[in-house]
Amino acid sequence: MKTYVLQRLVIALLTLLGMSVVIFVLLRLAPGDIVDILFATAGYISPSEKQALMKELGIDRPYVIQYLDWLRQVVTGDLGKSYRYDLPAWEVIRPLVPVTLELAALSMVFAVLIGVPAGVVSAVRQDTTLDYLLRVFSLAGLSMPAFWLGMVIILGLVSWFAWIPPLTYVSPTKDLKLHLIQFLLPALAVGYRSSALIMRITRSSLLEVMREDYIRTAWAKGQTGRIVIWRHALKNALLPVVTVIGIEFAFLIGGLVVTETVFNLPGVARFLVQAILWRDYPVVQNLVMFTAIVVILSNLIVDMLYGVLDPRVRYGG
Amino acid sequence: MRSRALPFLGVFAVVLSTFALAAPAQSQTPKSGGTLNIMLREDLSQGFAIHESSTISTVFPAAPCLNNLVQFDPAKAIESTDTIVGDLAEKWSWQDNYRNLVFFLRKNVKWHDGHPFSSKDVKFTFDMLREGPEAPAKLRINPRKDWYANVEAVEAPDPYTVVFRLKRPQPSLLSMIASGYTPIYAAHVPPASYRTSCVGTGPFKVKEWRKGEYLDYVKNPDYFIKGRPYLDALHYVVIVERGTRTAALQAGQLDVAFPGETTKAAAEQLKKAVPQLVITPVGTAVTDNIIMNSKKPPFDNLKVRLAVSYAIDRKGLIQAVHQGAGVPGAAMAPRPYGVWGMTEKDLLTLPGYGKPADMKDKAKKLLAEAGVKPGQPLRVEMVTRAIAVYVDMASFVINELKQVGIEATLKQIETAQWHAMATRGDYQIGANLTGLGVDDPDANLYENFACGSPRNYSFYCDEQVMKMIDQQSQELDPRKRLAQVIAIQKKIEEAAARPVLDHRIDYFTVWPHVKNLTPHHNIYNFARMQDVWSDK
Repeated sequence: MKTYVLQRLVIALLTLLGMSVVIFVLLRLAPGDIVDILFATAGYISPSEKQALMKELGIDRPYVIQYLDWLRQVVTGDLGKSYRYDLPAWEVIRPLVPVTLELAALSMVFAVLIGVPAGVVSAVRQDTTLDYLLRVFSLAGLSMPAFWLGMVIILGLVSWFAWIPPLTYVSPTKDLKLHLIQFLLPALAVGYRSSALIMRITRSSLLEVMREDYIRTAWAKGQTGRIVIWRHALKNALLPVVTVIGIEFAFLIGGLVVTETVFNLPGVARFLVQAILWRDYPVVQNLVMFTAIVVILSNLIVDMLYGVLDPRVRYGG
Repeated sequence: MRSRALPFLGVFAVVLSTFALAAPAQSQTPKSGGTLNIMLREDLSQGFAIHESSTISTVFPAAPCLNNLVQFDPAKAIESTDTIVGDLAEKWSWQDNYRNLVFFLRKNVKWHDGHPFSSKDVKFTFDMLREGPEAPAKLRINPRKDWYANVEAVEAPDPYTVVFRLKRPQPSLLSMIASGYTPIYAAHVPPASYRTSCVGTGPFKVKEWRKGEYLDYVKNPDYFIKGRPYLDALHYVVIVERGTRTAALQAGQLDVAFPGETTKAAAEQLKKAVPQLVITPVGTAVTDNIIMNSKKPPFDNLKVRLAVSYAIDRKGLIQAVHQGAGVPGAAMAPRPYGVWGMTEKDLLTLPGYGKPADMKDKAKKLLAEAGVKPGQPLRVEMVTRAIAVYVDMASFVINELKQVGIEATLKQIETAQWHAMATRGDYQIGANLTGLGVDDPDANLYENFACGSPRNYSFYCDEQVMKMIDQQSQELDPRKRLAQVIAIQKKIEEAAARPVLDHRIDYFTVWPHVKNLTPHHNIYNFARMQDVWSDK
């Protein structure tokens, strides 16, 4: 087990190194840089002033030097300085991380709470009216982008109740109730889409398991439906579900852009888009690396969970 | 021609009066206290460093921290030299036949960090701006250096007097000093610090700026005008998504809209949902215009440039693209939005302002004269910024050009590349927006039409017009100067230097409890919030 985890961590490091090259190169391939943007906000361009500013920000140096400098900074825990805000990048990024993590986690909680029971009911009541209704419900969730649902929620609330959730981030330590109200709707909007996916996977996986011999044996032994479904069938049907949950969570870390924008939550994804538009290399590079770390860790956790859910799974040395 | 223009103006007047009826009575006794929640469409792009920026996204939220020497009267929508009032300067005086501009400063003014304000700060600011030989500091970006090209020296003979010595008379200088783009920086802090924090003399002190989220101000208890500001605090909220911004205003989470942000359609929707909202149509000092590279074929040919200008139906554009929220005009904003614009009668003599069918015929004739054969359209590439407001306008223009035999393909340019591309002249024709920091001929004509100006994207250069621009700049008689400015506008429109298509109108929206916030016909000059109060 320890060897397996170590192996995975080494692979993770290599993946991160590869990611760092990809993001560094992609950013430099995008047309324009921060200096162009700064001049754009000033409404003019001056080649001599541009050169001086590029030197001041260090983006006139060869790309290899810039890349190595960034790696050195990351290793030493210094994330560099945001070009746009003239502040340490970490100071800019730090408040964003908990917002996105919380929104993604809360969305997944809703997704699991809705998706797994709905999937089970749909499988157990296969081809009944309830099954059809649940499948339509899930299909609707998959068809509706979270940002569209979010906008509909906002517009519906303001039209019917002349109210919308707070648009300035409310810290849980300041006002927990308001904080939860602020996160509830975006988490539901995102969670609904994810729940649809989880429901469909749960249903199909459970249907497959329900046809296994050992389930028939359990029924033949006279065990109650609840025990057969929840203890015998669902536990074995959960492996693909857990995989989907892991993938969805990882996806949400970088994929909440529009939901964060619509609900005006100051998270990583929304900020990342702004940073890309400003070509704020230190912020973009470090935010992408943060997302990559979360994706790798969530995959690792999912792989570890396989062993917990299915004792047959063994981790090789 | 007139019969088509009159109904349009009539409809506009009705809309104007409908909204104007909703204007609040401003005669109540002001109350102290309260917080105003104000909309921002994006984060402060350069912090509080107004001198390093040319966007309303910096000026609007940074203004409450700072003061000018003089300012345009916050209570008056129209801006002119007649509406300039004191700010850090109590009085001012033109001397030596407009060769010296002397400011007499207020005493007992303190910076937010407790340092006393003096003439040193004024000299520091303007020496830095004009990059004079004795400049104590340098801005990393200095977009309005040209405004001060005529200033020979700035002197501070005593702590409360500042003298601007000019190379030649220039009455416009006072207007430029009154612009929201001309606050006074503190001499004792580095100019770069304004990108992250603000040491000002203004009515509000920065409490907290959460990047990308909000900006909070609290009342400056030591403000030099006793009893001001009325409000205890200002809370600016960054909301990037337009739909969410409008919903927040409608739901009452915001009290004040962002200047230039409310379209006519949005205003009508808001008014329907919340009838008590106060919506005021105002000029924005932003024009839609066409830039044509006069150094490259085919637009090095005056006839082709004129054909483009004739082909575009201005009123059609205002209706189709802005749902009526615009007014036709040449380089300077027409009345009542500005004081230097051409009258409707004058406009009708210019290319593109007549009956659209006649204008298009004229355009076709000009193209034929330029060698464009029927059935063989002139193919060009039109550039525009990859922003919806630009693209909408460009699409309309492309359709208009197609009708006269010019087939333009649209190329969208990212913001990061736009100014560099335009300055280098790496384009044929472009759909452009231009904002003016102040409704003043010098600020506009030197910046956009003078030979060699970096923002003269069309590379238009006419020695005779340059002389006329210099002449109006020195003219001391306002009437004579207006006539000269109108003559210049006529000349540059007839040369299709940068055909102006319309002046945009904003439907500035506030809740009725917001008092004394008078939107100006220029989005850059009414954000100080010194006299604003809340009747909540």
